[in-house]
Amino acid sequence: MTSTWLSPRAGPAAGSAAPKWRALAPSRFGAIGLAELAPLLVLVGLCVALGLLNPSFFSFRNLVWGVANSAAIPLILAMGATFIILMGSIDLSIEGALSVGTMIVALLCANDSNANNFGWWGPLLALIACTALGLANGLVHVVLRIPSFMATLGVWFVGLGIGTVALGGSEIRVLDRTIRSIAFERVLAFPLAVWIAAAMFFFALFLERKTRFGRYIYAIGGGEDIAALSGVPVKRTRILAFALAGFFNGVAAVLAAAQLGQANTTIANGRLFMTVTAVVVGGTSLSGGWGGIANSLIGVLIVAVLANGMVLLGISPYVHETVQGLMIIAAVALSVRRGRSLIVK
Amino acid sequence: MLELDKISKSFGAVRALRDVSLEVRPHEVVGLIGENGAGKSTLMRILSGSMRPDAGAILIDGRQVVLRDPKRANEYGIAMVFQEQSLLLNMSVAENIFLAQEKPFMRLGAIDRRRMIEAARACLAKVGLDVDPAMKAGELDFAARQMVELAKALALEDRTDAPLTILLDEPTSILEAKDVAMLFERMRALKSRASFIFVSHRLEEVLEISDRVYVMKDGEVVAERLAAGVSAPDLHAMMVGREVKGEYYREARQSPPRADVVLEARGLSVAGAFRDVSFALRRGEVLGVAGVIGSGREELTRTLFGFLPQTSGTLLIDGRETVLKTPTQAVAAGIGYIPRERRIEGLVTDISIAANVTLARLDLAMRHGFIDHKREKSIAEYWINRLRIKTPSAAQLCRNLSGGNQQKVVLARWMAARSHILILDHPTRGLDVGAKEEVYDLIRDLSAAGAAIVLTSDTLEETIGLCHTILVMRDGAVTARFDAPARAKPKQVALLEHMV
Amino acid sequence: MAGAAAQQVSFGGLADRLRPYTPLFLLVFLIAGVNAAEPGFATLTTLSVVLSDASILFILAAGLTFVIMLGGIDLSVQAAASFASMIVAELLPRVDYAAFPATVLVGLAFGLASGFVHVKLRIPSFIATLAAAGVMTGLSLLMEDGRTVSLLDQGREESAWIAGAWLFGVPNVIVIAALVGAGGMLAQRYTRFGRYSAAIGAGEPAAIAAGIPVDRYKILAFGVSGAFAALAGVVLAARLSSGSPDLASQLLLPAIAAVIVGGTAITGGVGSIGRTVVGALIVSIVRIGMTFVGVDIFAQQIVFGAALIFAVFVTIDRSKIGVLK
Repeated sequence: MTSTWLSPRAGPAAGSAAPKWRALAPSRFGAIGLAELAPLLVLVGLCVALGLLNPSFFSFRNLVWGVANSAAIPLILAMGATFIILMGSIDLSIEGALSVGTMIVALLCANDSNANNFGWWGPLLALIACTALGLANGLVHVVLRIPSFMATLGVWFVGLGIGTVALGGSEIRVLDRTIRSIAFERVLAFPLAVWIAAAMFFFALFLERKTRFGRYIYAIGGGEDIAALSGVPVKRTRILAFALAGFFNGVAAVLAAAQLGQANTTIANGRLFMTVTAVVVGGTSLSGGWGGIANSLIGVLIVAVLANGMVLLGISPYVHETVQGLMIIAAVALSVRRGRSLIVK
Repeated sequence: MLELDKISKSFGAVRALRDVSLEVRPHEVVGLIGENGAGKSTLMRILSGSMRPDAGAILIDGRQVVLRDPKRANEYGIAMVFQEQSLLLNMSVAENIFLAQEKPFMRLGAIDRRRMIEAARACLAKVGLDVDPAMKAGELDFAARQMVELAKALALEDRTDAPLTILLDEPTSILEAKDVAMLFERMRALKSRASFIFVSHRLEEVLEISDRVYVMKDGEVVAERLAAGVSAPDLHAMMVGREVKGEYYREARQSPPRADVVLEARGLSVAGAFRDVSFALRRGEVLGVAGVIGSGREELTRTLFGFLPQTSGTLLIDGRETVLKTPTQAVAAGIGYIPRERRIEGLVTDISIAANVTLARLDLAMRHGFIDHKREKSIAEYWINRLRIKTPSAAQLCRNLSGGNQQKVVLARWMAARSHILILDHPTRGLDVGAKEEVYDLIRDLSAAGAAIVLTSDTLEETIGLCHTILVMRDGAVTARFDAPARAKPKQVALLEHMV
Repeated sequence: MAGAAAQQVSFGGLADRLRPYTPLFLLVFLIAGVNAAEPGFATLTTLSVVLSDASILFILAAGLTFVIMLGGIDLSVQAAASFASMIVAELLPRVDYAAFPATVLVGLAFGLASGFVHVKLRIPSFIATLAAAGVMTGLSLLMEDGRTVSLLDQGREESAWIAGAWLFGVPNVIVIAALVGAGGMLAQRYTRFGRYSAAIGAGEPAAIAAGIPVDRYKILAFGVSGAFAALAGVVLAARLSSGSPDLASQLLLPAIAAVIVGGTAITGGVGSIGRTVVGALIVSIVRIGMTFVGVDIFAQQIVFGAALIFAVFVTIDRSKIGVLK
């Protein structure tokens, strides 16, 4: 795309036989239009293909329970992860946060292992605890200057440990009806879980599009040194982003405890992988700066539809992980920006 | 209005700036010229707040100020438009202009995008750029992005009462002629609201746009002139100054090269960097490539070592046509590379000298398929002695060596590998005088032994002193070729003419 | 401009000189400490248990060491070991002793594949190996529909060389680990692979500019990691007489901890198999010691998580990281 100038230019452009020379700065940076639409096309394609293979995919019941409801928790997790990945970092601690969060809900609400019955204090404390874990991520990363994957790796295991210790290795059933109802109570035919996920989505979208925080996330991802030179508060934004991700993890944890009706040692298994897959498949670049919340919605839906499809088609659930693994490789490989010689570690 | 008083800055042993004083008055364009390494970039970095001087004062309207960081410099009305672009390509033009300055556009906790875009449009109008502010910066071409940066600098007007000084660091080096004309027209129109410091190596352009010109050399201001009263050749002479006396470059040791051609380029081109470069390098010859940033010489040296394969043209090594796709191929072909960034690309600083010396030809230290540490040690010790590398032992980590000794280790590596073609990329950068002289001796030794050398250097002086032949490049093409035999060295001015 | 010197956190003159020996001090201190808390810890039987545990962990961590020295990470070692345990359990009845090398080769293949994906497709190593882990876990689950596979009598017989204790009652596992350790140390010091891995980790741009075929050796390092992980899985299967999809679960963190606590920096370059030996011993002692003292096995993860952060904080070289992501 060329720019035009307000003041008209006199005379013809100086044309000579030799081509004009520019430095190696590309004039169009980034993915072309088609690549940006790809995730959406993939989603549509998947739905169509599945619908053809098994028309019950499009049944209202399946769309609500098989797709939307099962996508609720992954979507919430993906919200937090998206902000982190947009900055070019990674949050490996999701499973630890889930562990802690579900454990707190189970132990504080009416349950089958102790006499507690604190009702809504359970979810509230779970939110606080998970946000605190996220804050810990941010502080360890920014203040101790440890790369995010290491910092969050450590917190992952700390969280997992705390969660499983409190559980004593077994499971605890949540008996509180009201808490459980936030997963199943239906409003306008959709379970509350879906509404909560939708609310989180719009909240995240607002943060991304309308707040300075969202701007700064993109700036850090697009060029942290440039951003810092312009006065973007990089450290503060990073810490905040990790704490925010912790918050989203907390919401997901509460929902998970409600949905499953219990907290156990495996409740968090596989979530990290699925979340990162969803974000990447949706088109958010791992190196940061490109993609966003809307992309992650598409990505989560792709992963959810795929999982639902495999169930409908009777494919063994064990294939899920394998397929997800291949999907994430394909998605990342396709999204890599050509012509940038980074040293990838 | 803006005054620099005896600014000095050193980096270790290297004195980048020495008592630099200059002045910028309201509504004027001040040009700043000088060779590579004259100190212009350092000065700009200090002025823009990215770096603090070791000594000296900066005064705004007579009051001394401390420019702690770029934000503080902005508050004093100083804004920089960088040579390497500093826009975030993944964000829109409007977002870039108002990055970290979104507060005025906040409404009920949310950014009012529409207002920001309108404000951005107004900013762009100031520089005469008609693009949609909602467009991503990455979608604009280079010239347009430069205008956006200028608009971003001008946006300071609304945030500070201080008079604006805009620093332009080599803004035209990658612009086409028509874009340069537009830039200058805009600048003249903007003089009513801002003053400019225009740093460039293009003397004609500097004279065209500036009111006054400062000439820098070796970290000092050597001249200040009214642009109207001086010509490009005058400036050349001032930039270059003294001609070196004596045998600093060991010219007496410069023996004529042999006849056989080891490295030949015919119409070598890399699209977007350089085109149609041809030369025939013989054994024992030192070929210099002179040119400023953007001339294509940096890319040429990278092509000769396999970092940047040519897109057209032919490269012949020892008579065989080759395309070097990776450095591994280049090394296999017998080429060695002394990189500009010694500590990053030259040495693996956390392993021993011995390991670094054998790195390119590990097989020399191997026996029966395994590394023979005794053999490696003796190889290393041979070169330590031969090159007089100052170190207690061959097992010493390279990180502890001085710059000059580190450079010798890199040289030792290629000498141990018996490379017959050497690419020397700014081989004396960051070295003190004594170390430089040692490197010059080594270069003479190497060429006497028959090595063919391609040399790019920081200073014209060094290039002329060391080389048999010199190619001058400008804007991607070879503009001149000089012979530089020992007793008939060309003058720097002659080269400069073709460089800028 | 002067280049940046290594920027590790500095505790002052003497402390900095002693830094490389910290893990060793820690080890001695731990043994003494736990023994003081629970006398009877430092007996031969307990030490034998510790060493056996450490051996398996060490084999896992040894392969990881090569990858971490390059500046990457392999998050698939746990999945690879479990996968290998399933494969060896399936193969033993079918091909007898050939099952052992075959399984290691499978591990090698998967490792090379993740390395290839990482290097040629330019995907960060943690993603590539996370994906590989997913694929291998999926395959493990698929093989027997999520169930474990027991080694039958024939299998037990043929794996006696691992599970037994032939040399003066020293468990063979320890011997195998010692051989692996020795092999690893020799490889580091005397082979091209070892030298290049160190160079690439300590200064990849310089390694490239010296003509080292970096891509090839990076892929190889991941292959080695996969092969060692498979070996660990084989050993585990022999000891537990079965293979299962989550046999090696709970081992990823200790393996990473063993490498880093031992002193290998995640920024690459600094480190060695020898250090991982010390690291594996420390981690095992902490694990077993904590159980001895009565600390919950799950709570141990908390300790490890925190220890990991601390160890990285101390060993990381910040001059290697341009922008901290």
